[in-house]
Formats: sequence, structure tokens, C-alpha cells
Amino acid sequence: MSAAGLASPSASRLGPFLAGLLRDPIVWLIVAIFAVGSLTSEYYLTAANIENLMRNIAVIGLLSLGMTVVLLTGRIDLSVAALMIFSVIVGVVLMAWLGSVIGVRWLVRGNTFAGPTLAVMGIALATGAFVGAINGIGVAYLKVASFIMTLVSLTALRGFNYVLTNGHPYYLKSPLFNWVGDAKLGPVPVSFAIFLAVLVALIAFVNGTVRGGRFYAIGGNEKAALYAGIKTARYVVLAFVISGICAAIAGIVFTARLKSVDAPLAAGYELTAIAIAVIGGTALSGGVGSPWRTLLGSVAFAAGLNLLAIWGVGTWYQNLAIGIVLILSVGLSKLSRKKVQS
Amino acid sequence: MLELSRRQLLRSAAAVSALALVPVTSLLAQADDKGVHTILNELIKKYSDEAKASMSNEEVAALFEKDGFRDYLDVYPVGDLAGGFVWKPGMGATFTGPHSKLEIKSPFTDYLPLPEGPVLDPDKKYRIGLVFHGFNHPWLISLADTASWEAARHPNIELEVIDAEFDDNKMGQVIDTWIAKQYDGIVLWPSREAPMGPPVDRAIAAGIPTVSLDRRTSSEVISSEVLGNFYANGLQQGLYLKHAAPDGNIIFNRKDLGSTADSIRTGAFLEVIGNTPGYKVLANYHTNSQRTLAFKSTADALQAFKDISVSFNTGGEEAMGALDAIREANRLNSAPGGKKIMILANDDAREVLKEIRAGNIDMVSPYTPLIGDIGIRAVVMHIGAKEGKNEAPPKLIMTPNLPMITREKMNIEGIETLTPDEWPYAYGPEASG
Repeated sequence: MSAAGLASPSASRLGPFLAGLLRDPIVWLIVAIFAVGSLTSEYYLTAANIENLMRNIAVIGLLSLGMTVVLLTGRIDLSVAALMIFSVIVGVVLMAWLGSVIGVRWLVRGNTFAGPTLAVMGIALATGAFVGAINGIGVAYLKVASFIMTLVSLTALRGFNYVLTNGHPYYLKSPLFNWVGDAKLGPVPVSFAIFLAVLVALIAFVNGTVRGGRFYAIGGNEKAALYAGIKTARYVVLAFVISGICAAIAGIVFTARLKSVDAPLAAGYELTAIAIAVIGGTALSGGVGSPWRTLLGSVAFAAGLNLLAIWGVGTWYQNLAIGIVLILSVGLSKLSRKKVQS
Repeated sequence: MLELSRRQLLRSAAAVSALALVPVTSLLAQADDKGVHTILNELIKKYSDEAKASMSNEEVAALFEKDGFRDYLDVYPVGDLAGGFVWKPGMGATFTGPHSKLEIKSPFTDYLPLPEGPVLDPDKKYRIGLVFHGFNHPWLISLADTASWEAARHPNIELEVIDAEFDDNKMGQVIDTWIAKQYDGIVLWPSREAPMGPPVDRAIAAGIPTVSLDRRTSSEVISSEVLGNFYANGLQQGLYLKHAAPDGNIIFNRKDLGSTADSIRTGAFLEVIGNTPGYKVLANYHTNSQRTLAFKSTADALQAFKDISVSFNTGGEEAMGALDAIREANRLNSAPGGKKIMILANDDAREVLKEIRAGNIDMVSPYTPLIGDIGIRAVVMHIGAKEGKNEAPPKLIMTPNLPMITREKMNIEGIETLTPDEWPYAYGPEASG
């Protein structure tokens, strides 16, 4: 399956890319949301609200990017939300333990982590990659259905989160966490800049390299990919590792904003990540989608919810709206694919 | 224009209190001169001091130590009511809950009162946000009921009520949206302390007075905290147990580890029984306020242990789940010596009171959700203080300790218990049957 029409812009394809963009319903949905927002609320396009919007996009966008790569291979990763919390908890617990080994108290009164933050972040990223690899090995080599494998991971990680924290929160108040959670680079929050950096890296890899293109091949027709000599299992593991790393980065951004990590946080966010990938046009059956379109999905999703929140619409109705948009997105996406094929 | 000083507020509180007392003299006769709030605070201090000195029951001490209760108990405020307010049973207004449509008698409507009518600048619309979790939970709906009732008494208050559906991040985002919309005040019911500190800090930094209800946040700059009486809850569960039985094998159905409700109630209970050697800890479960989980854990415990004599429950939902499991197993009278398993509860839901009347649940420490009105009044006073129209209310607004409810009237260490029929403040729908 080709990624044509869904790929990122390059200099030579900018014209067709922009033309394609203008034909894309999700782009018009985003334009419509912003237009309605600016017409109906004096607060919608204020700097403060746009900043909120960018911060909201960062966490769910990072989770969705990882999910997109897994979905491209025709698999699913339900463990992302549990992993985003687990990875940070492991970072804190491991560093606190290491501190006790070398005789330094890094977990001070009130469960505040006072040790080296960079090391926590490094361990969190490694944990994300490690858990992703375990998921991938289970799916690719042990032939466990990805739904089952990652559902088990989700449950186990939620349990581990409680075991490792004993139900108590860890406070993360170091300058580096504050910087990630609160600082801005010009008008852009650091968390959103991190999301953009990951997005660019993934676009470059998935849509700009031969290896990245193999995710589409596997998702489009795995047997054909295998017969073509692609070591599909390795790429499936790689997709889960990417998803794990994205989850860990999302965890760092998320907990930096809350300045704490707590076992029950982010419950259900895996469904939001799936929803955004699907709204962005990624097919659950694999082979169709791109990180670029997941960006559009993230913006549409967050901007829509933000508009409802600005209007003071209750969360029940917001959930209803998500459901309706999701159904419409899946329907429109199917229709447009049929049109392209015909 | 309404301009309030604290002295005026106190004077009006006293006047309203006096008015409210007239029809309930029979109830007042039960109350001690110094008030149940003070008596319970003295008992809290007594048992806390004793537990700090030593805890001779090794099993209880081990559990107390393992879950780090001391850290939580030492920082949980125990103190006097704002402005010297004295609460007596029978006080408060009666109305229909705007959300639940149930009849409510709210106990603390005379506490830091605001007269009906426009507040502060009558020509200005004051936009206040209330964010909480759980429009599907009777306790929390009742909380929102009282807040909306208070807001509706003042035509220039526009209250937006949002349910964050137990997602702390979503609650933070709601607060950030209200900051962007430049709301005048924010009231929140935080589920957990840690994650809600930063959003509150951002609201305060934006100049928006913010008040938390019941549970606390990790913010050190929050305008006011309207605090519940968790300490008195757990204390009274312990006092009842000590009064009713000098020994017993206890199973625990607790809320989330780390939640204020669990830390303070369970900790206070253990402080009271910690120096009585006859109590054993058979099993300890976290059922996270879910009746179904409490049912399952109690059913498991009934299979594992034949000699359960006490079921300690951190909340009303847990107590109802435990009772259902005990009834289903036909084990209500299976405590050693053929005695009834003693069920200790918190939260004065109507269905819990029904089981007390029936003699199935032995006691409940009321923990009323009917405190949303205090939050609205407090945040209005903070807005008024910001506008230079009145003094700000205190940072810590303690709510009155409430006496336990038992089937028959009892006097336990100076606390006159009330019967279910003497308690008009129960919340939630009427229990069927």
C-alpha cells in the first residue's frame, strides 16, 4: 500500500501537497472550528487560549503519533496511557533507589523528588522503549494478538504503577520539569515544541525513508511484504518501540505540567490516542495514514474540545461530540479512499 | 451595593444562627455547651497524642507505619470554625437540589452567610466556575446542588458547573480555560491533592480567587480551603468500636491509598484502637469508593476467614458493598460467639441510614457533601476582598465536626450520638424497600 497522498510535503511536491490539503475535509473542519470559535467567543483566539490549545495538543498528540505508527502496521497499542505514567514512575523510583544505594536522599519529605531530573527523563525514555519492545516481541514473535498483548500490558502497568508508588504521588518540582511543563520558546510552549520535534522526526522517518515505508507495506499486505523480503517481525517490534518512546515523552510532558506523577493518572487516554489517529485518517486495518495527518487529527480534536469548553458545554456533551466526529471521520475516510481507488 | 466586613458577616451569622435555632430546641438540648465540634477536636488531640507516644497493638501499629499515616495526620488541619461559629443540629436551610431534584436540608447555610440578592457590585456579573468530578455520584451531585443553590440566590452570579469525570488533567484544562476566559472566581473539588496544585497556582497567579472544597490541593497559595471533618469520622469509628467491643478481628475496605479520605479516616481510626491489644487486622483492601469492589473484597474475606467480627469501611459505598456481601453469604451473625459482624461506616447517605435503622450497619460518621454553598460564599468574599469591598475569609475554613449516628442514642466519651430519625441532613435518593 502506498503512502501517496498522505505523505509530508517536500519541495518538489509542495504544489500537489497544498492542492491535496485544500481538498482534505479535516483541514476544512479545523478552519471551521477556528472560524466559529473566533466569531462566537472573544476568548477563543486570545494568546492565553491558543497557548492552552498547544499544551493540550502536545500530550495527546505525542500519544497519537506513536499509536499511528503501530496502526500503520495493522496492530494496535492499548498500553500507551499506562506506559506514559509507568515510565516516569520507574524513572523516579529507580533514581530514588540509586540515591539510597549511594547514600543520598533524593526522595525528600512529602515524596518530592529532589534528584537529577535528566536521569529520570533518560530512564523514562528507556523504559518506554523497553516496554514497547516487549509488546512488539510478544506480538511479532510470540504471535499474540496486539489487542491482547497490549491489553495485558495496560493492566499490568496500571498494577505496577500502584505497587511502585504505594498509591502515593511523587512531586516533580525541579527546574527542568518546570521548564518542560510551563516555559515557552517565544509564543510556543516547550511541550508543544517537543511534540513538533517528534512529529518532524517521525515524518522524516516514516514518510521519508525506505525503512519507514515498510510500515505501510506491512499494514497493507503483510504476506506480500514478507515475500518481498521484508523482515516484518523486526519492523513490528520497531513500531511498538517507537510507540513506547512516544508514550514516555508524553509522560514527561504530562507530568511536568502537573508537577507530579500519580498511579491513576491518564486513565483512558489510549482511547483518545486511537480516536485522534482515526480522525486523522489512519486506518485501523493498517497501511493508511501518516504522522502529518495525525497532527491534523490532534489539532481538530483539541481545537474542537477547546471550543466546546469555551462555550461552557458540559463534558458529557463533549464526549458525545467526540463520538459523532469519530464516526463521521471514519465514514469520510472510507469514502475518500474508495474515491481514490476508483 | 453589598459591602461586607468580617464583623458584619459574623454578626449576621449569629443572627441567622439564632433564628435557625428556634424550631429545633429539642435537638439542641442534646448538644453539649461547648459544641460537638470542640468535644471531637479534644478527643482527636487526646488519641493522637497517645498514639504518638506509643501504639501497643503491634498489628495496628504495623499497618499504621506501613501506610505512612503519621505524615498525613500531622498536616491535616484540626481547629476552630471560622469566626467562632458554633454549629448545632437542626441548623440550615431546606430546598430542592437544582441538579438532583431531591429535597435537601443543608447544615451549614448559616456559616459565613451571604444575604440573598446581588453580591458586591450589583451592576456587575460575576462569573464563577465550579469544577468537580462525578455527576453520577450521589455525594458529588449533592455537593454541586448546594453550590448551585447558593449561586442561584444571587442574581449577579453566573455559575458554570463542569464535571471533569475523574480526570485530573481534564480538571486542570478546565481551570486553564477559565483563566483564559478571565473568570472572577473558581471553586473546585479535587480528587487528588498532587496534580491539582499547579492549575490552582496558575489561577491564583492570574488573579482569580480559588477555593477548594472538601479535599485539598498541593497549592500553597490557594485562596481558601473548605475542609471536611475526616479526622472526626475515623475517630468516631474507633470510639464506637472501643465502646462496643474490647476486641475483634477487623477487615478493612479502604479508599485509594494516598487519598485524603483514606489517609485521615483510616489513620484516625487506627490511632484510637492502637493502644487496645484485643484487635487484630485480618485483611486490608483498597476498594476505591466502589461498591462492587467492596462487595468482592468482603466476599473474598468471608471465604478466607471464619472469625470476622468487624468490617471497617472508609466510606458509605464501601459499607453498603460489605453489607451486601455479608448478607449474600448469610454471615451477618457469624462473628465469634454467634455475634453480629459489626459494620462501621462513613458518609450519611439515606440508604446507609436505612440500614442503621434496620440494625444492619452499626454506626455511621456523617460526612456531608452539603458544603458547596460555603465554597461559593468563600469565593465571593475573596472576590470582594480583591475589590476592596470586604475582608477575605480565612484560608482554612473548617466545617463543623458532626456527631456519629447510631440506631439507639448513646453517649460515647461525651459524644451524644443521634439516631437516624434525628438526622435531617442525609443525602442521596431514598432507599427502596
